[in-house]
Amino acid sequence: MLRLFVCATTLVSALSLAQQPAAKPADPVTGDAPAPADAAPAPASASDGGVAAAAAMGSGSTGTGAAPVAAPPPAPKKIDPKLFDDALNDYFAGNPKAAAPKLFDYTENVPSTDENYAWAQFFLARSLIELKLHHAGAVYLSRIARERTNPQVLTRALEELQQLTDRPHDEAMIDEQVFGALDLGFLSEDVAGYAHYQQGLVDLRVGNERWATTHFSKLPEGSAEASRAKYAMLVTRLKQARKDLPKEMVDQFFELAKDEKLTREARNDAMLAVARLRYEAADFTGALEAYNLVKLGPLEPGRAALYLEEAWTRYQLGQVHAAMGLLTTLDAPSFREEFLPDKFLLKALIYRDLCHYLPAKRSAKELTRRYAESLDAVRERDDLTRDPRLLRAASARGSTQRARKFLESLELEGEQLGRYAGTFGERMFGYMTRVYDLARAEAVRVYQRRLQDSVRVEADKLLRAAEQVRLMEYEVGLKLYERVKKGSKLVALIEEEPLKANQVSFKFADEYWNDELRTYRFSLKSRCIEETAR
Amino acid sequence: MSRLRALPWFVALALALSAPAFAQTQELENPGVTAAVQDRPYRLLHELDLWFGVLPLDAFYTGIYAQVGYVYHFTDRFAWQVGRGAYGLAARSSLRGELERNFGVQPTANDEVQFFVGSDVMWKPLYGKLAVLNRAVIHGEIHLLAGATLFRFTNSGFRPGINIGGGGRVFVNKYVSFRLDITHNVVLPTGGGTTSFGNVMTVNLALALNFGGND
Repeated sequence: MLRLFVCATTLVSALSLAQQPAAKPADPVTGDAPAPADAAPAPASASDGGVAAAAAMGSGSTGTGAAPVAAPPPAPKKIDPKLFDDALNDYFAGNPKAAAPKLFDYTENVPSTDENYAWAQFFLARSLIELKLHHAGAVYLSRIARERTNPQVLTRALEELQQLTDRPHDEAMIDEQVFGALDLGFLSEDVAGYAHYQQGLVDLRVGNERWATTHFSKLPEGSAEASRAKYAMLVTRLKQARKDLPKEMVDQFFELAKDEKLTREARNDAMLAVARLRYEAADFTGALEAYNLVKLGPLEPGRAALYLEEAWTRYQLGQVHAAMGLLTTLDAPSFREEFLPDKFLLKALIYRDLCHYLPAKRSAKELTRRYAESLDAVRERDDLTRDPRLLRAASARGSTQRARKFLESLELEGEQLGRYAGTFGERMFGYMTRVYDLARAEAVRVYQRRLQDSVRVEADKLLRAAEQVRLMEYEVGLKLYERVKKGSKLVALIEEEPLKANQVSFKFADEYWNDELRTYRFSLKSRCIEETAR
Repeated sequence: MSRLRALPWFVALALALSAPAFAQTQELENPGVTAAVQDRPYRLLHELDLWFGVLPLDAFYTGIYAQVGYVYHFTDRFAWQVGRGAYGLAARSSLRGELERNFGVQPTANDEVQFFVGSDVMWKPLYGKLAVLNRAVIHGEIHLLAGATLFRFTNSGFRPGINIGGGGRVFVNKYVSFRLDITHNVVLPTGGGTTSFGNVMTVNLALALNFGGND
């Protein structure tokens, strides 16, 4: 069970890279990246947010407050060229709200061959981004990247798009259709590096490591992208060679964990990978060292998975008191909503090892009690996405989490858009509303599809833990009524580490302090008699 | 009647016996004790203090003084304030002015603290931390002081005293902390022809520079 758990968590490390700004696009190794089914409607959302395609199909809107699909667009009207200058003046005067409708008017009424057309699109995108309508801005920037009418604007648009990938964004539109399909010859070094990285990831995702290597080899040595590419390659190889892990892989991950060019999150992911690989190789001391090297910011609570894995490692090392301390950490409010069925199993194991059978039984039962509704839903073959616990767990990781965040950001921006109904004018507001409605519909579809897969993974995890717990209950039940032979003695106590001179102890009284989360120590005397010593 | 009189005793006995039983049940249900064991982020060894203080007790003047001190910390709980020396100025109170103006009291009639030196032992039983608006954590400690001080008074000259007091420290980082101490000195009736005990209270704030404790 532990090995399965560790395998699963090792793969989750790949997922977590993809969650970070460092690895903005879908991670190649998760396998849950936008698959063909995700990408299917992409043409509709490609260049203009899908508005044109939707209008052509007459598809309805799904969002609230959506305008009905527009009638055929009005014929272009004659535009005063000064409008562009006025708009720029507004923009540079710090008034994007006034600039945006003018620029929209301009772009809608001049041919794409107009010398200011691309600039108008660019500043419209910038204005929208400054108005916190990031997706709408990205739609215009992507359009510039697709139309390529002005090379100067193109470079700046790509830089802007690259920055937008730091936040929840339309992966199909930006990562795949812009950076993943870019002709790389004319790009500046920074943008080219990012595009090479993206294209390498796309190749890795479809299983073409050789092509990916070609792209990654063009990344400037020592750049952040080169480090991220190394991580992606390593995780891919790890996934492929799961049964026969090359030993040097641990060292390679260890090197990456010290690479300052990666974000701290990515470095921590690499260090977690080291810990998991060492755990798999039964090098528990080495694994513990790696867990201790995971760096957290001041007062940062950290990740529940980190504590649970460290607890398992300490348990394997016989440090049951420290392991139980870490399980106390997992009861902190920061982690109360985390889906960690293993936690109860480990707690029961520790109590059992210390021969406190009633608490062991109670901990085991706690799992089935706490997840009763989810377990019922699995048994009744209900729609698992309707179960709040499974839903929360499934949408808290990997590509499903990214899809959820993008959907949430669209909903937020959709509400934000309502504030500009008067300023933007009927035509622009209607257009933007349709952009957001279509993006939202597509984001819902992608999210639901990813959710279906990840909720099944979480349900499997829960079922496995429930099965283990039943075995544990049975075992503890037997122990509970075991006869103690005459003359039996208590086993030697497991030595608890004494307090050092430079240490201070704060007794835990149900109040969690973030700076203490990694330092809880549990104290409980073993009640085992010699025959039942572990 | 006698049975009724015994009833409260039975109730009290039952309650007294039920308390340990309840505790035992708790212990069975949630056995074990949990504590956060942390390395002390700030430890002290050599400490140089730059003080600013006041002598608030005398109704005729308020002494304002600057002081320099050095403390050696043997452990996290025990330290010796090896030496401290202060030089003060007196800010005369309105009462004193009134006495001089209206009642012809001589300006030199009042005995004022001119400077003093001393040494103390420090016991630091309390160490803790505070959450600042749930955004930051600050560490600090509270200590008790006992020592001896030699005062130089304007009229009676040198007089020894014994002092007790206490204070608190807030750590800023490994090298800097702030200390606030309040001590009460009982000045002995020796020297300068005085026959009565004197009282000198000091309230002072220090910038403490710490060296070597975290190495």
